[in-house]
Amino acid sequence: METDLQQQIIDATQDVFDTMLMLPITSGAALADKVYQFKKSVSGMLGFSGDIQGMLTIHCPQNVAFGITEQLLGMSVDSVDEDVKDTIGEMANMILGGIKETFLNQGTDISLAIPTVMAGRSYQVKGVDYASWTTVPFYLDDGEFLVELKLKTLN
Amino acid sequence: MDLQKNITDATTEIFETMIMVDIIAGDPITEKINNFKCSVSGVIGLAGSCKGMLAIHLPDKVAMSITGSFLGMDVTEVDDDVTDAIGELANMVAGNIKMILDEAGNNVTVSIPSCVHGEEYTMDTVSDSQRVVIPFNIDSGQFLVELQIKN
Repeated sequence: METDLQQQIIDATQDVFDTMLMLPITSGAALADKVYQFKKSVSGMLGFSGDIQGMLTIHCPQNVAFGITEQLLGMSVDSVDEDVKDTIGEMANMILGGIKETFLNQGTDISLAIPTVMAGRSYQVKGVDYASWTTVPFYLDDGEFLVELKLKTLN
Repeated sequence: MDLQKNITDATTEIFETMIMVDIIAGDPITEKINNFKCSVSGVIGLAGSCKGMLAIHLPDKVAMSITGSFLGMDVTEVDDDVTDAIGELANMVAGNIKMILDEAGNNVTVSIPSCVHGEEYTMDTVSDSQRVVIPFNIDSGQFLVELQIKN
């Protein structure tokens, strides 16, 4: 598949923030290294399969997750509760929904699983070594978050 | 769909044929379990005519003992071998469940697995889905297999 995954992540994420959150963000260059370790964070993860298999994950430090939730729901939050988890899971759903459309325009059809949300003081999220990783950092007033797209590579 | 039987059959077969460890399935756990301490969780998505997720949650020592049996080596810490093995275990169990679901007339495909490890973390699914959690016992302890399916 000849695609610029970095640009697809940026376009899809930007679109969700512009249209759903009305929150300005800027994107950075894709990270050269895989990021595994997260502290005081919330991660929304969503698998997909079809013409290509993979997983999309959004990793947010707690205060960024709070900021996104407050903006989306219009209420104040100060702990990682159901609202925050639902919001970050829904973010993964919306961003991957955008990427799915771009894939489809390129002739690649994927179906989405259901989102899973991890949260905690300190945790690692590992992938499998037969997948390519593209991780893009985004910046907003509350801090930085990562959107990571893993695709199964042909063995 | 009898999800309990699907999970039990799929998991038992993988342990008998791939890990060569005896396991005993328990009764489904009805209370919500979403908080894990010093554990490893392998997660994989299911998509297609029904969508969902499968997760296997293991205390560190159980994850290490299963990895040791699977790879035929001593494992003393939760390293990349362990997270790879538990991701692959989720993949194998999900592959078996896919076959059972497909035989019942579904058309399901699996995503790639991911593996979470940490001292303390929560894992929740954001969806109104049917959820079944089955505990399994092996010599080194107990682990959970969680399946969520949305039609």
